Amino acid sequence: MASMVVVQHKQPSSVIFSSSLSDFNGAKLTASVQYKRKLWQPKGALRITASSAKKILIMGGTRFIGIFLSRLLVQEGHQVTLFTRGKAPIAQQLPGESDTDFADFSSKILHLKGDRKDFEFVKSSLSAEGFDVVYDINGREANEVEPILDALPNLEQYIYCSSAGVYLKTDTPPHFEIDAVDPKSRHKGKLETESLLASRDVNWTSLRPVYIYGPLNYNPVEEWFFHRLKAGRPIPVPNSGIQVTQLGHVKDLAKAFVKVLGNEKASKEVFNISGEKYVTFAGLAKACAKAGGFPEPEIVHYNPKEFDFGKKKPFPFRDQHFFTSIEKAKSVLGWKPEFDLVEGLADSYNLDFGRGTFRKEADFSTDDIILGKSLVLQT
Amino acid sequence: MATAVASSSSSLFFFFSSLSSSSSPSSSSLSRLTLSSPSHHSLSSSLSISPSFISLSTKAPKRTASSLFPSFTVKAEKKNVLIVNTNSGGHAVIGFYFAKELLGSGHNVTILTVGEEGSDKMKKPPFNRFSEIVSGGGKTVWGEPADIGKVLEGAAAFDVVLDNNGKDLDAVRPVADWAKSSGVKQFYFISSAGIYKPTDEPPHVEGDTVKADAGHVGVEKYISEIFDNWASFRPQYMIGSGNNKDCEEWFFDRIVRGRPVLIPGSGMQLTNISHVKDLSSMLTLAVEKSEAASGKIFNCVSDRAVTLDGIAKLCAQAAGLPVEIVHYDPKAVGIDAKKAFPFRNMHFYSEPRAAKELLGWSSTTNLTVDLKERFDEYVKIGRDKKQIQFDLDDKILAALKVPVAV
Repeated sequence: MASMVVVQHKQPSSVIFSSSLSDFNGAKLTASVQYKRKLWQPKGALRITASSAKKILIMGGTRFIGIFLSRLLVQEGHQVTLFTRGKAPIAQQLPGESDTDFADFSSKILHLKGDRKDFEFVKSSLSAEGFDVVYDINGREANEVEPILDALPNLEQYIYCSSAGVYLKTDTPPHFEIDAVDPKSRHKGKLETESLLASRDVNWTSLRPVYIYGPLNYNPVEEWFFHRLKAGRPIPVPNSGIQVTQLGHVKDLAKAFVKVLGNEKASKEVFNISGEKYVTFAGLAKACAKAGGFPEPEIVHYNPKEFDFGKKKPFPFRDQHFFTSIEKAKSVLGWKPEFDLVEGLADSYNLDFGRGTFRKEADFSTDDIILGKSLVLQT
Repeated sequence: MATAVASSSSSLFFFFSSLSSSSSPSSSSLSRLTLSSPSHHSLSSSLSISPSFISLSTKAPKRTASSLFPSFTVKAEKKNVLIVNTNSGGHAVIGFYFAKELLGSGHNVTILTVGEEGSDKMKKPPFNRFSEIVSGGGKTVWGEPADIGKVLEGAAAFDVVLDNNGKDLDAVRPVADWAKSSGVKQFYFISSAGIYKPTDEPPHVEGDTVKADAGHVGVEKYISEIFDNWASFRPQYMIGSGNNKDCEEWFFDRIVRGRPVLIPGSGMQLTNISHVKDLSSMLTLAVEKSEAASGKIFNCVSDRAVTLDGIAKLCAQAAGLPVEIVHYDPKAVGIDAKKAFPFRNMHFYSEPRAAKELLGWSSTTNLTVDLKERFDEYVKIGRDKKQIQFDLDDKILAALKVPVAV
């Protein structure tokens, strides 16, 4: 069914991207962005939500992806509820978000407080409320999904945040959605969830991101590099540094999540969602430096097998090639990433680390173990 | 030889042709029916609703409607195609497959190979199989591109010319100029993905910066200026029966003799190794979808990469034998990796995004399956029993036994 939603905007229609959507500061503005301004849209057009405004439940939504996704959905005129334990505030003003925008969002976002592991509560509270669509952003295990499906027999769509971590390691990358998955992977809960959804009579869509980055990232991806760059430290990279990985900006992922809403082409489909281009480990270090205005870093290569790091992770990425093709999402959904790597890292830097905020304190202990050893690998 | 069927999510191909060597030109019917649905852009999801009335924009076609009435073009146009083919090297096989695929699709093909029919070079594949082109209804001629007008004097006018020979403008200009003056509509060029500037952000995609001084770049620029309908195809490495230059054979040579496979660097370098029928299918699709291909650059490769370690492992799997991979640092060992190893010692990885998006092309390369066929042929021709010298390998191995000072 076609979604007929008017995006209200207060600025003249000739401005392609108003600053009221300041949580997307720095996004590359092109006509292919979700919000297409039609020139004939009268100024001050009323926001009229046609019958396709949905009652949406987001499992999670206060940490990273959901923060951006919930805003987009509210802006589209949907009624959005976040199911969280309430540990974090339901709405926190984003860096760069205007007071008006934040006030609007926080006045509209709803909260359903609970623990999703309490399956009885999930079932009863969800069936009492009734929702049209569920975005499951923080689900890890298949058994977490069942009470939701049981509670909502008329659910229009179950949209799941899976992971490219489900793919079986390959000699011939990139990973396409049709590729083999690994039932033994660390992410097998995601895989089992996808299987469960496929086995139930529900309209589901699953998105598989790779490494997500962007402001408010709680996984130390770009932050790991920024800490070292700020401290003027060399960047220790395992082995050759030519391992190829892939980063996707959280705002592009949020847009992909919105693209699949009510989209029959997304029904019972899996999509890889990440950046257009891949990047080597060494290249990523350089890109972070560029994004933050740091000089090109010294990269030190080491053989991880020669060290004992205990429980600590000496490097934030899997030591292997790991990247996916996003062509299915591009051709089927008409979605494409707006951020290229340096731009996206700059967006993250300017709105987060560069303002003095980060999630994890700098910890250079593994670096010092590596640098302390007098023999380092030459490449 | 298998007919490459390009089927993708956006178009259906009905291939009413066969590539059997016994078909004669008159019997090949040109009943290729292309059913293609409009491009896969999602429904435009923004509609403007004025306060006074609600109207549905009809600009966004529903997917169901469009699939009820797909636009289809019947590609019944028979084309007269000239291939100017190199007489040696990795690209030689492209012309061979392209000729056969075009003939199988009912087009007319002339293949002009550089040099003389009687030369020693013509005793090697694919040239020693050119009878397959002739029995498929194609014409084979020999000559110098610089004299192309004379060589092809009296020939019927060509619709399409593919230059699969020149690496720079000196070599291609005579062909391009002659084609222009004789009214050729589509001018295609086999360029090279080697012209892309190295990047930290693979893959190479069409539009990425190229090395300005590369010979192929000069050709691309020139043909884009003088032809309305031109296209350039940038290949990498190919495997396939009829290959003029070793590719997977380099690995088989070592694996069947129980010799270590010496790979420079980490072995993690990514490259593209395509079955040549991916290239011929892309070229054939471009000939037939000439408007879609016009003015475009295409990475002429399969849609998967493979690491250097990976290709060694896949070759061993194809042979059903174990493989010992030994990595080495060419500088430390004092060897020129270009001489010692058949692939570039760096990431050299392109993706065929333009062909997929613009032509609806899809890849059929499957290295596991393809290498098995290649290994079967390798054994069939007795190459596994051949006496081979491994001088450079031995030099490297000797150097590696010496402890490397840290």
